[in-house]
Amino acid sequence: MNDILGKTEEIVKKAKSLGADEVVAKTTFGKYRQVRFSNNQVDITVAWDDYVTDVALAWKKRVVATQMHDFRDVDAAIKRLVGLAKVSGENPAFGGFAKGSFHYANSQADKKLETLESPTELVFEAVDAAEKEAGSKVDSGGILFTKYEDVYLVSSEGPSGVDSRSAVELSIRAFSEQEASGHGVECSSTLKDFRPSRAGSKAGEIARLAKNPKVGDEGVYDVIFDPLIFGSVLGIWGGMASAFSIMIQMSIFVDRLGKKVAPGIVTLKDNPAAYSMSQRVFDDEGVPTGENVIIDHGVLKTYLHNASTAKVFKTKTTGNAGLIAPTPWNVEMTPGSLNKDDLFEEVDRGLYLTNTWYTRFQNYIRGDFSTIPRDGIFLIEKGKIKQSLKDLRISDNILSMLGNITGISKERQHVHWWGEADPPSLSPYVLIKNVHMTKSK
Amino acid sequence: MDEEIVDYALEYAQSKKIDYAEVRANSQVQDRIILRNDILEAYVSAVDSGFCVRIMADGGIGFASTNRWSKEETKATVDLAFRYAKAANRKDKLIFAEEKGIKTKWVVEQKKKIENIAPEEKISAFAEVHKTLASCGINVPAVMSQVFIDLITKYFINSEGSRISSFVPKIGAYVYVTVAEQGKTEQGYEQFGYSGGWEALDIWKIQERMMHNAKVLRDVITKAKPVKPGEMDLVCGPEVTGIAAHESCGHPMEADRILGREMSQAGRSFIYKGGNYWVGTRIGSEAVTVVDDPTIEHSYGYYAYDDEGVKARPRFLYKDGIINEFLQNRESAAKLGTRSNGSSRSVNYDREAIVRMANTFVAPGKFTDEELIEDVKQGVFMKSFTEWNIDDKRFNQRYVGKEAYLIKDGELQHPVARPVIETTTLKFWSAVDAVSKDVEFDAATCGKGDPAQGVPVYTGGPRIRLRKVFVK
Repeated sequence: MNDILGKTEEIVKKAKSLGADEVVAKTTFGKYRQVRFSNNQVDITVAWDDYVTDVALAWKKRVVATQMHDFRDVDAAIKRLVGLAKVSGENPAFGGFAKGSFHYANSQADKKLETLESPTELVFEAVDAAEKEAGSKVDSGGILFTKYEDVYLVSSEGPSGVDSRSAVELSIRAFSEQEASGHGVECSSTLKDFRPSRAGSKAGEIARLAKNPKVGDEGVYDVIFDPLIFGSVLGIWGGMASAFSIMIQMSIFVDRLGKKVAPGIVTLKDNPAAYSMSQRVFDDEGVPTGENVIIDHGVLKTYLHNASTAKVFKTKTTGNAGLIAPTPWNVEMTPGSLNKDDLFEEVDRGLYLTNTWYTRFQNYIRGDFSTIPRDGIFLIEKGKIKQSLKDLRISDNILSMLGNITGISKERQHVHWWGEADPPSLSPYVLIKNVHMTKSK
Repeated sequence: MDEEIVDYALEYAQSKKIDYAEVRANSQVQDRIILRNDILEAYVSAVDSGFCVRIMADGGIGFASTNRWSKEETKATVDLAFRYAKAANRKDKLIFAEEKGIKTKWVVEQKKKIENIAPEEKISAFAEVHKTLASCGINVPAVMSQVFIDLITKYFINSEGSRISSFVPKIGAYVYVTVAEQGKTEQGYEQFGYSGGWEALDIWKIQERMMHNAKVLRDVITKAKPVKPGEMDLVCGPEVTGIAAHESCGHPMEADRILGREMSQAGRSFIYKGGNYWVGTRIGSEAVTVVDDPTIEHSYGYYAYDDEGVKARPRFLYKDGIINEFLQNRESAAKLGTRSNGSSRSVNYDREAIVRMANTFVAPGKFTDEELIEDVKQGVFMKSFTEWNIDDKRFNQRYVGKEAYLIKDGELQHPVARPVIETTTLKFWSAVDAVSKDVEFDAATCGKGDPAQGVPVYTGGPRIRLRKVFVK
């Protein structure tokens, strides 16, 4: 381990000796496994064993980066990189990489995920649970993904550390009919308490309820968002909180710092905590990560920063540095005061949405967008599921939706799915009033 | 790339009890340039090189990849792929559709070699876009450019005797622009893509196109009026025709989707066995023929052989309005009792090759562009689009116009603000009554797979006219 940290440090020293002002190098040994399944059978099992050193350096406010896959190539690669910096353009907004010497929390990665080689049985646990909960034959498909990374980071500005990061994720979609399906996910940083059957049961339950769907009606509805679909929304708000999104005008949060953007029941955080699939003890500049409150009781409190964007906004880094730009790690909405069932009781006539995909924006500053709910879409009347629906689209505004939250459940789930509910989040059931739904004509 | 290691991997795989094995090596020299306005945020330059082993044994498939080029690592990678193939334990044993081994080399030529272009020239080509926009008299508070330059060398071998080497340079870029006028903002983007050399920049005319974008967005704020919702005629420009061809023809015609293999992510298809739609079913008017063709030279989605070593050819997906031919790889083709049509693509050595589009477009018709407009009494010309999406069975879609104009009595009138068509695949293609002669293409990145594999494609077509569709 120290050997790899030493080799990473040599890269930093080499770049400095060639004239770089500041350098950060991060070496990752990653072991990733994935089982892909459909129609209740395994289609393919995939293994990726990767080694990469990411190097970012600055010379007179010119920022360049590379990836190296072999420690033997260091001298030539760094020489090329420094040469590239010298012909690149200056970025006046570059404020330097994070400075200081830090103590990091101990990594809580699960070593079992490093040695787990045949995770196929976890898939069938979920498939069986889906069928059992559905009460009839279902076609299930999805993925099981595991990750174990050893990460070694050295910065010329002081930070130096070692981290291990693990994750396991099961995503299953079960079809009870051609147009009736349910989706469940189970996400964790460790195998402890990882229960694929929970994801399978959820998928099976929704698939059962979703049978015989009717085409829904256009209109304005009060909508209960399941944790999975709300995870997609949390990911959008989290990404829009990145200071880089603000700088490039791709966010509803432009010019709204310190202003009320949501009702008082809404508190939104970014937190790469131990349970999270994206848990980490330091960011890509070596700054310790931690909890950051983005929206505090409805008021936008901070953007997510690296050291450089923090200087632009005259504040401190939040420990969210990615290789190029600040990024959310794991978005949390704090729990509300209602049980899930109480939340449903709040709805006289509305919808319960469980999942979505294909979210696209007309305008990121205004927040006009549409997205297509999939899997279970349900009409709620007097707090109860009345009818399974299909073929509806949310065509609304993501800032208005934030402002129209009227209920948040106590129950929360750690969710992540494909590129749609990403980054991972800790997501409750949420009631949003006056959501515009459209359909094909 | 060490071809001896690749050969050794196949040799070692063949020493095991396998049904099939392939080794696909990929080396990509990559430049990534990110500009905020004319400021270089980052220049990322790297070489990514590795190989994957895909093995079929006992009717299961195992896949393992590595970027460590040693014999020891190679053996471990092959062992893992073999073990995973055996562990699949499938009831329905997988097979691949038959193919003969092929030995060949293919390259995409460059008129101006990317290798000879200095980094500062690459940066300045895009920094100039902001400078032009900043001095054009329109308030443009933000321009964001992302540039992707890849020199891709591949070496593919399999247990059936195939040995295919290739070299493809690709350049792609996104340019996002924000326009602010009268206290309001509008945003839009353009994507550029090309297989070949730096001559792409001469072809793209980025500054001209982005200037046009800025003017269009300004006009949406200052001149455009909303359309009165109702049934009317709609003329789609090539960009809108192309996205519809991609989303509601190309995607639902992917055989792996039809068979359910992507059911949990990209979804299934409105086309399925026992359903209302299959090969031979009408899905559009006789005016509609949609083609997917990887062999268009220098196109963003160009390839001569796919990532299973199958020779590329045009595929007629919808022909004269009839569902005609699915996109197939060897796995899906075997399941459907047919042959692969060369649709298997992967973005890199560490990703499984799956069924993908290449360049999907509506085939040209016999009308001029003007004739399509002249014959419209009341309607909208949607030249380009902004927000769009489609459901995962690829039936319910929505396109929101970016540049759009009212048509009245055969004449273009004022700009229309964000007109929307939200309709089904059947209604969209059935409403087409006329197709113009001139096909144009746009670059796009097609998303599919888990982990996501964004592959370069063209979308395109001529202008098409839809009669009596609901526009709002």
